[in-house]
Amino acid sequence: MKNILTVARRECGAYFGTPIAWIFIALQTAILSFFFFLYSPFFIIESADMRVWFGLTPFTMMVFAPAVTMRLWSEELRTGSTEVLLSLPLPVKDLVIGKWLASVVVLLASVVCSLGIPATISWMSASPVDWGPIMGGYIGTVLAGMMFLALGCWVSALSQNQVVSLLVGVTAGIVLVLALSPDFAAFLTSTSEPLARTVEALGVQSHFRSIERGVLAISDVVYFLSGSCLFLALTVFQVELKKQ
Amino acid sequence: MDQSHPGGVSVTAPTSTLEKMVIEADGLSRSFGQTRAAEKVSFKVKRGEILGFLGPNGAGKSTTLRMITGLLAPDEGTAKICGIDIASDPIAAKMKFGYLPESVPLYDEMEVIEYLRFVGTARGLVGSDLAKRIERISHRLGLKAMLRRRCGTLSKGFRQRVGLAQALIHDPEVVILDEPTNGLDPRQIIEVRDLIRELAQQCAVIFSTHILQEIAAICSRIIIIHSGRLIADGTPEELAGEFGEGWQVVVEGSGVDPQRCGELQLAEGIPGSPGETVHQWLGDSIPDLDHLQKRLEESGSPLIQVGVGRESLEQVYLRLTGGEELQR
Repeated sequence: MKNILTVARRECGAYFGTPIAWIFIALQTAILSFFFFLYSPFFIIESADMRVWFGLTPFTMMVFAPAVTMRLWSEELRTGSTEVLLSLPLPVKDLVIGKWLASVVVLLASVVCSLGIPATISWMSASPVDWGPIMGGYIGTVLAGMMFLALGCWVSALSQNQVVSLLVGVTAGIVLVLALSPDFAAFLTSTSEPLARTVEALGVQSHFRSIERGVLAISDVVYFLSGSCLFLALTVFQVELKKQ
Repeated sequence: MDQSHPGGVSVTAPTSTLEKMVIEADGLSRSFGQTRAAEKVSFKVKRGEILGFLGPNGAGKSTTLRMITGLLAPDEGTAKICGIDIASDPIAAKMKFGYLPESVPLYDEMEVIEYLRFVGTARGLVGSDLAKRIERISHRLGLKAMLRRRCGTLSKGFRQRVGLAQALIHDPEVVILDEPTNGLDPRQIIEVRDLIRELAQQCAVIFSTHILQEIAAICSRIIIIHSGRLIADGTPEELAGEFGEGWQVVVEGSGVDPQRCGELQLAEGIPGSPGETVHQWLGDSIPDLDHLQKRLEESGSPLIQVGVGRESLEQVYLRLTGGEELQR
């Protein structure tokens, strides 16, 4: 654990010591807020919930997560600093988890910064705010974010070029969110029922649907956690592969 | 009379060191596609030795060092650091050495002190011990004024020092430096050489270079690598003695009359161009130095010294890496 924190602390320094984290947090919050107030029925019916906000989260995440993680390995591979990093007495899994954890800290910071939205709703709304679903929605956001960031870590370890990492990461995110969507699954139902069910089970949207409503189902939590573990394991494998 | 070989000054390992092998490379081989970057490279290094890894660019020096440090898995063979196999227990083995890669990669956005803290913490140092070691190493390497500078703003020389500081912060038993003087100015090169000599008092230093003078100046032992193969291993004297072909004479004098010298050369049948220093290639027999000295003095040249030695290390190196197979 100490090793993981050592690595995470360094990466957090790199994130918050440079504009990367701040730009990410500002953009993510600004874009989500804009679309939230644009699409939310809040001003019409003064509905004091954040379903629209959480509904938008997977779509912003699929773009922003790879933008945060693209430098994690690509930059080290390009500059050759992996040579020193991998010569330190740290297990590769600790390096991978530490770096990923730093990106999760950036995510958490952006979540904290967006808490102004529920505060605003609570202040402006005539009806009392139901905090349960909002809490559930935020926990779901962090869980989904962890998976997207783990995916981004893996993609970053695949290439020395940050732009390539970003593009491949966004493409992988699009596959998870849009290609493996409930709509596509419905389209496939006529062709193959099991295939349609598999597509829906693998996609992010079907697992985020209940989170959007603020409901945390065990199956969804398992989906995002196991997704995170899978992509982190792939990252470890990829970094180990550099020795070969 | 100077009886040492004219290739350079040699340094012998301190005799007080323990005869403990700290690096054992056994049959390390590695291919990249069709290219054999290293082929059955075996050697041992004991504490107190300064081992120079010499070879032309692309000879396989970095590949071999990367296999020893566990950054590259060998196709065959094993490497042990202080008796610990780098493949089976990489963490324990990595605790024992400090490594400076050729390109000196640092994290540009970090301050020097933050970087040293990070590496120190990763190497298991904490609290006041870490602070003391940073203080000591930054003092030793002249980095104290730079501790609050971002690595990205440092000059090449200071980057190299930070790279050395991270490799030495934990007082390793083995220091592995890949081309440590690359791109440094002459003063910095001398500083690095002094540091390496100092380090050898407590640990083993293994460093690679393609600059022969560097090896000749500080190494107690030399390994020459060519086309991925270890072709020579020994002290500078051993290499010159073992692989040298014949004897040569060096005559140094000031104000040598070139004309008289030329006449002497002709009279003695010495090939080469006349000048302040006469290099004579004499073949297999040791020359009659007294006779030669007398004749030179007769020629009116105030001599500083007349020396005889085996073929210089430089000549040995050029011949060994000239593409021909070594015939031992």
